[in-house]
Amino acid sequence: MSRSKHSLPLFAAALVFAAPLAAQNPPDLSDPEVAHVAVTANSIDIDAAKFAQTRTHNTAVKQFAATMITDHTAVNQQAAALATKLGVTPADNAVSQSLQADAKKAHTALESLHGAAFDRAYMDREIAYHQAVLDAIDKVLIPTTDNAELKQLLTNVRPAVAAHLDHAKQVRSQLGAAARTGK
Amino acid sequence: MLWLVLLLGLSKPPTAMRTVEIRGMEFHPAVLTVAVGDTVVWVNRDIVPHTATASGRVKAWDTTQLSQGQTGRYVARHKGTLRYRCTFHPTMHGTLIVR
Repeated sequence: MSRSKHSLPLFAAALVFAAPLAAQNPPDLSDPEVAHVAVTANSIDIDAAKFAQTRTHNTAVKQFAATMITDHTAVNQQAAALATKLGVTPADNAVSQSLQADAKKAHTALESLHGAAFDRAYMDREIAYHQAVLDAIDKVLIPTTDNAELKQLLTNVRPAVAAHLDHAKQVRSQLGAAARTGK
Repeated sequence: MLWLVLLLGLSKPPTAMRTVEIRGMEFHPAVLTVAVGDTVVWVNRDIVPHTATASGRVKAWDTTQLSQGQTGRYVARHKGTLRYRCTFHPTMHGTLIVR
């Protein structure tokens, strides 16, 4: 494990309302709440990527951030279109609030970092975030969704989140090697 | 006249349209074999945008960004094995074999 110490447990703890708990007792979310969580999770990653683009000078990190903005924006557009179609108004809830609070902490921590330290911390965060979102999709969002179309949207989004996770790990491993040779 | 039609028909073998679906962050099929002259069409079924971009220094083709439902095409002109990828998602790879 070559992760930085930087506040990872916080991300994992706050986000994974899902992982260990959900197996026995997933939060009981209504469909409007699931929609809100989905939109919030996408928006958080878009904001993080936009910030990363202003801070990083690393080409691979920049490209990763650009993909996050493009992909999560596309997913949110689709989610919004589906919500309109179904006449669902996304409803704020404890899970969304926990995600937002955690994202705020993450942003504060990243704001103090620059250069290679920023790149590593941002990519570590993206790995933890996408892993947690993947767990949430599998253990909370898909199981608790009643509407077939919303369930299908989440199912369609899952491979993209998994690919983002692999992409993040790939970029992070490049940074790890660069950091070691730089010392 | 019939003779001319037959001759033209024989001199130009029929070409085919072959489709690669992009779905679930993968190219389907990941390996496609076509004949020279065939047209390969990539269609993006995913929510997120993709590209199908030939690897290597000289790119044989680049569909550029394909949003959901959009298609890109390439007419296979030369024999060989061509690898390609999605420029947005480095985990996505495909191979086109032209015979």
